[in-house]
Amino acid sequence: MSTETKQQQQSARDTAKSPWLPEFTPASDIVRYAVAQTAGSAAGEEQEGYYGVPMLKQPKWGWEIALYFFCEGVSSGSFLMATLAELTGKGRYRRLSHAGYYTSFMALLPCPPLLIADLGRPERFHHMLRVFKPTSPMNLGAWALAGYSLPLTLIAGRQLTWDGPLSFEPLKSASKLIPARLLGLLGIPFALTMISYPGVLLSTTSTPVWSKSRFVGALIACSSVSTGAAAVSLALSRNGDRPAQERLEKIENLARLCEGAALAAYLTTAGDAARPLTEGHYKWHFWLGAVGAGLILPTLVGARGPSKEQKKSRASTVIKSALTLAGGLALKWAIVYAGKRSAVDVEATRNATRPSESAPGWVASKQTASQG
Amino acid sequence: MIEEILNAWQRPEPPAQQEEMGFFTDVTLCIGCKACEVACKQWNQLPADGFHWTGNSYDNTVALSDTTWRHVAFVEQLGNGDGTPDRWLMMSDVCKHCVQAPCQEACPTGSIIYNEFGNVYVQQDICNGCGYCVAACPFGVLDRNREDGRAHKCTLCYDRQKDGLVPACAKHCPTASIKFGPLKELRQIARRRVEELHERGQREAYLYGAEPAGEYSALSAFFLLTDKPSVYNLPEAPRRPRAHMKTNYLLSFGAAVGLAAVSAILFGRGR
Repeated sequence: MSTETKQQQQSARDTAKSPWLPEFTPASDIVRYAVAQTAGSAAGEEQEGYYGVPMLKQPKWGWEIALYFFCEGVSSGSFLMATLAELTGKGRYRRLSHAGYYTSFMALLPCPPLLIADLGRPERFHHMLRVFKPTSPMNLGAWALAGYSLPLTLIAGRQLTWDGPLSFEPLKSASKLIPARLLGLLGIPFALTMISYPGVLLSTTSTPVWSKSRFVGALIACSSVSTGAAAVSLALSRNGDRPAQERLEKIENLARLCEGAALAAYLTTAGDAARPLTEGHYKWHFWLGAVGAGLILPTLVGARGPSKEQKKSRASTVIKSALTLAGGLALKWAIVYAGKRSAVDVEATRNATRPSESAPGWVASKQTASQG
Repeated sequence: MIEEILNAWQRPEPPAQQEEMGFFTDVTLCIGCKACEVACKQWNQLPADGFHWTGNSYDNTVALSDTTWRHVAFVEQLGNGDGTPDRWLMMSDVCKHCVQAPCQEACPTGSIIYNEFGNVYVQQDICNGCGYCVAACPFGVLDRNREDGRAHKCTLCYDRQKDGLVPACAKHCPTASIKFGPLKELRQIARRRVEELHERGQREAYLYGAEPAGEYSALSAFFLLTDKPSVYNLPEAPRRPRAHMKTNYLLSFGAAVGLAAVSAILFGRGR
């Protein structure tokens, strides 16, 4: 089928070049999908619905958004760790916040290109900021990203000129003017928004796997905090600041616990809408990656307790952090891609739009019950 | 020249609000001629979709899409020999132009607006193809075009309405199954039509979207149906995505702020 389709597309492109033939656009993805699904199905077959054609369109988001959710989660999570350690630690966690801001900045760098690459019209990315519209989580997220990058870039720039590769005189004295602690404080609300909004963005759609449950936002938020703490812990493992790492480990464990709770709450409230995650193509990402590598294995590694040998304890920290990061990526990857499967899950879509108290819908009243 | 530069920042006066217009599609009158599909394609200069033979009755357009803004659904119901008559249902589907449209609420660029006729309209010079409306629409109407990267859907012939013309599909409908007019009048006409059908014995006729249903708003393009919505591939009770946004934010921010507070306490404690 694929070679045939490619040939069709090629011939379509050829005809489009001809000035007197009308432009030919291949049918949209959903039509292709529906045709492939329903071809050959017997007419008049007894089934609910319309020839098994999906009611919804598949979300367009793919690897760019999955990767973006991971990177922005690591970035905002480690920003939070670095800033809180700096503000409340009374100077005890200098190395932690130093490593944390660098990690955060490195994770932020791929974010704008990923978001822009995902657009249908990348050159119009700035249209996101032509209005302020908090009713749209995506608009809020765009503003949060803009508001978050400024303090983070300034703080990272200050560090780079202080002891980094840009450490030469005129820059060094100029960077003293940057109030890092104040900028960190100002950045916190933006970082918290960056942590919280991605799941809400997904939930504010009609795709059942995202919108059925109220816990997708909390799930992704917890994952962002745990991956952020894990990334800082990994960055810090080289210079062996044990007390700082112990704090980070505690935070990571707590975030993982909350993530597990949010995941359990999600699975119980979503019902059959969660099928694209728990069954089918993305079940490996979900069960092995998100649950296995992200939640269970790090807990098992941590359960062995702190080892007295420094080398061993450092190794276990590194393994734990790497597993948490891998699990976070797998979780976000599975959630984003599950949307595509969920939109074509005809049964789940129908079950998600059954009449309820808050949404009675427009169904024929009982007296005028339909004959179907 | 200074004036020209300053003009760039001035926004023109929005057009004066007009009476709310909409569609009323009566499936009992539809004969499945697909004149609406053809008229829509022609007027809006929409490209062909390719030629797929689906085997699903006479329906070869399958669904609404970025290049199909009117779609006629065909349902063949055979009456199993128990006295129920055979039926061949036809229904011309279109963007519902929800009074509170999930796509408009989702759109992050402000590209999707309610125009002066109360219709939901995608401003093509602003859309940047983020795809949020595609996921937000509970009816699966919008799609992003793979050639030009923007979201497209029925405009309710905004251009024709501006010139006082009837939208192309309603103009071409030979049986007046598609009616266009002020929403207030259309709703009255629709209610009368349901009563009339009930009197004649077609008790299964009912209106889909003429009134708000709980959290979901009324539709500016509403329908008279004679079977369950799912038979026509419509949701029985669409949900408004924004209805639960506050709860979602509360739980999400709750988790983030809670974890941040505990972290601050952990870092604040002495060594």
